[in-house]
Amino acid sequence: MNRRLLWFLLVIVAALALVVVIVPAWVIQPFRPQSPVGLEISFVLKRIAPFVTIAALLACVALVVTLWHGARWSRVFLVILLLPPVFSAWFARQNHFEWMFNPLANAGYTRADAATFVGDGDLVMAVARNGEAVAYPVRQLAYHHLVQDTVGRVPIVVTY
Amino acid sequence: MIDGRTLHFHLAGINNQNFIMRDEETGSWWQQVTGEAILGPLKGRRLTRVPQDEISFALWKREQPMGRVLRPDPRAAAAGHYASADWEAGIAKLPIATRVRDKRLDLRELVVGVTVNGRAKAYRMTDVQQQNPIIDTVGGVPIVIVAADGRSVRAFSRTVNGKPVDFFARPEAAILVDSATGSEWDFAGRAVRGPLAGQQLDRIEVLRDYWFDWRSYHPDTAIYSAGLVRQRS
Repeated sequence: MNRRLLWFLLVIVAALALVVVIVPAWVIQPFRPQSPVGLEISFVLKRIAPFVTIAALLACVALVVTLWHGARWSRVFLVILLLPPVFSAWFARQNHFEWMFNPLANAGYTRADAATFVGDGDLVMAVARNGEAVAYPVRQLAYHHLVQDTVGRVPIVVTY
Repeated sequence: MIDGRTLHFHLAGINNQNFIMRDEETGSWWQQVTGEAILGPLKGRRLTRVPQDEISFALWKREQPMGRVLRPDPRAAAAGHYASADWEAGIAKLPIATRVRDKRLDLRELVVGVTVNGRAKAYRMTDVQQQNPIIDTVGGVPIVIVAADGRSVRAFSRTVNGKPVDFFARPEAAILVDSATGSEWDFAGRAVRGPLAGQQLDRIEVLRDYWFDWRSYHPDTAIYSAGLVRQRS
């Protein structure tokens, strides 16, 4: 097959792999406003990203292998062109919002009278269900943003 | 929980400064402020709201001495990641990303939001503190909004035995007195002294929020105007 065409394909597929992960990350920046359409596109891209990026990576590897024979100094570019799909395939499996906003995976609790870490004037988010009462100090929630718990047999998500 | 299935949530993004959560089970995206799925297989479904209170720790401890408290994560605490006691002052300086252009209030103004019978109304936190209690009617329901200890806010339906009741406050004791019988009511909405002792007012949920966020998810919201003692909406 035409080597030029293969090179062209390689560049396009590598670029596509990047676009799939960069667009949602670009749209959903914490201090930018989002539009409903932007969110919808991001949602679709995020859903398909794990499969698309792996497919792109496999395609790129196949193309690089094909082009490897007969290439000399241009082998450097072949290796460089593998980097975007590798990055995308990895990034599509990360949740960078959890790096930024630190949800609390293993929540621990203390009795009210032993909770010396909360000031009397500090705000708490308070929930009471079926005779069980829990307080979530806002200063902690403002860092973790998301805590999952079961209060009075009701599974809840506490989010701030 | 949806259709008897417990969902597990992750942070998945931000929509105009309000978090989006994704559930592991279906991958749907949920809006934090409304609990509604905005995208994905469960789009349009809503999580059941669990009544909650945002009050001072001292007040909570008095009411719930047997309760449990979320413990700080030792690693986050050691690294000094938790907000300082005056963290809200710092938030006030953060930039605002929103499509809301409604400048009736300052975008970062702290409000108390109430929704009754589909009618939303915002009360400036400063009005709630100063006028304590606020006597109002929202969505046809007579309500009273009470503040205590400079931080805690609660709202109640002020219908007692089928009739709306007016209240005035004895702020030093965080006690409300109803003008009809002179009975005394505590911050939990329970009559503790007087002819109505033992009666309990129905709670109405309030949300402490910034004006731009409240307005963004309640586009038809009214705003309480402090000049009027009473206002129908």
